[in-house]
Amino acid sequence: MKSLLLKDLYNISYNAKAMLLIMVIMTAAVVPTAGAIPQMAGFTILWAMMEVTTFTFDETSGWTAYALVLPLRRSDIVRAKFVVLAIFCTVGVLLGLAVSGAASFLMGGRLPEENGPLVLLASVPVIWAIAFAMGSTSIPLAFRFGAENARILIVVAFVVPMVIFVGLAGALSMAGVTLSNGQAIALFCASPLAALAWGALMYRVACGVFAKAEC
Amino acid sequence: MDTLLEVKDLTKTYPGFKLDHVSFTVPKGCIMGLIGANGAGKSTTIKGILGLLRPEEGRAAFWGQTLTEAPALKEDIGVVFDGLNFYETLTPAKVGNILRAAYRQWDDGLYKQYIQRFDLPLDKEIKGLSKGMKAKLGITAALAHRPRFLILDEATSGLDPVMRDDMLDVFLEFVQDEEHGILMSSHITTDLEKVADYITFIHEGKVLFTRPKDELRYQWGIVRCGAAVFGRMDPAGMLAWRKEAYQYDVLVPDKEAARRRYKDAVVDDATIDDILLLYVKGERSK
Repeated sequence: MKSLLLKDLYNISYNAKAMLLIMVIMTAAVVPTAGAIPQMAGFTILWAMMEVTTFTFDETSGWTAYALVLPLRRSDIVRAKFVVLAIFCTVGVLLGLAVSGAASFLMGGRLPEENGPLVLLASVPVIWAIAFAMGSTSIPLAFRFGAENARILIVVAFVVPMVIFVGLAGALSMAGVTLSNGQAIALFCASPLAALAWGALMYRVACGVFAKAEC
Repeated sequence: MDTLLEVKDLTKTYPGFKLDHVSFTVPKGCIMGLIGANGAGKSTTIKGILGLLRPEEGRAAFWGQTLTEAPALKEDIGVVFDGLNFYETLTPAKVGNILRAAYRQWDDGLYKQYIQRFDLPLDKEIKGLSKGMKAKLGITAALAHRPRFLILDEATSGLDPVMRDDMLDVFLEFVQDEEHGILMSSHITTDLEKVADYITFIHEGKVLFTRPKDELRYQWGIVRCGAAVFGRMDPAGMLAWRKEAYQYDVLVPDKEAARRRYKDAVVDDATIDDILLLYVKGERSK
């Protein structure tokens, strides 16, 4: 699987300069107006979407057929995509934290209170979880419909986890369940676990899709 | 076991095309040439052999086992498709790093030897390489894990004659120890005439024949004759024929016998191109 990770990281490193430029622009545009957290979230989701770009590279070069003649299983190819996604989400959220944190610090008291260091740190797992859940949903879509269609269907990838989340929250509210601050923090902290569980489900779906694929 | 690859009744149906019970074997130490017109089913056959598609019937066994039964056999198989399957921003050095991590048998020294032999720049991006260099890199990548069997799908297409000759030398070296083998699909039949031991001809999804190349080159022939001689010819002795503007071209399995029998006709040697054309564009005995 290391070979698959290396291939995706090499390919995507070509976009590194563009990503850094986008990060600078996003920071300058978003942090002073909306605060650091939207910048972090946007940047992390952008990184998660780079996962679909790796599929574009694979399709352009005819990589998938080649990967299947390497001594790898089909499930290795699927698993590597999820590992790369986890790496992208982690890099995205940490870079976002560093840059938006630095911007918040430089702008001193001119930013809203919720951009304080603790709030920024607390948002890291939640943002990571949202980006990972979105990216996870895009992977079976990309295996099934191809990268370019998956980009369009990415809206679905965003909507599905959100609908489930909102539906769950609504159901809890209708049942009269209200969350204390402590419970909310616990849910925030558990969000990466929920995203990983979602990722595990999407992994199984992607394996099922890719097992039937012909190259 | 003397058979490296046995393809048996490989069948796959697509809308408008059927790969129909394709069977052939590649013995040890041999190069099998796979010929046929565009869309005949050569690439589909190779994909079926490699498990890239799911055949409805049949199997392809390397050393007696299918790749599904024994996926580890992929370590012993090198594959070159038409075109390089790496993204254009990678360099040969990075390709080496990727494949080193994939193959347990990867030989860095051998990779660098081929890189030097083919004058490939290690740190130049693939998009900056010529088509010939890309083909050489594909072949280098396929050889550097020391496979025992090579599958080449139009691997030399687009190369100039000098480069192709270099490649053919590499393939001949590869099979020299009589343990290795190559399945080579190519439109460039002159290459197959130089290196192949056997030829399998696929037409419209079916194998028309598998024959030793020498039999085709030294026994088969083309009788070029008028209507009178053609009318006297025994249909059972004609493999295929075609009416040209002023003559009939008839493919026969024994040119010496034809020379003795039809003294007023010209009997030429048959090239693989001639055979392919007569089978594809001509008529065949039932």
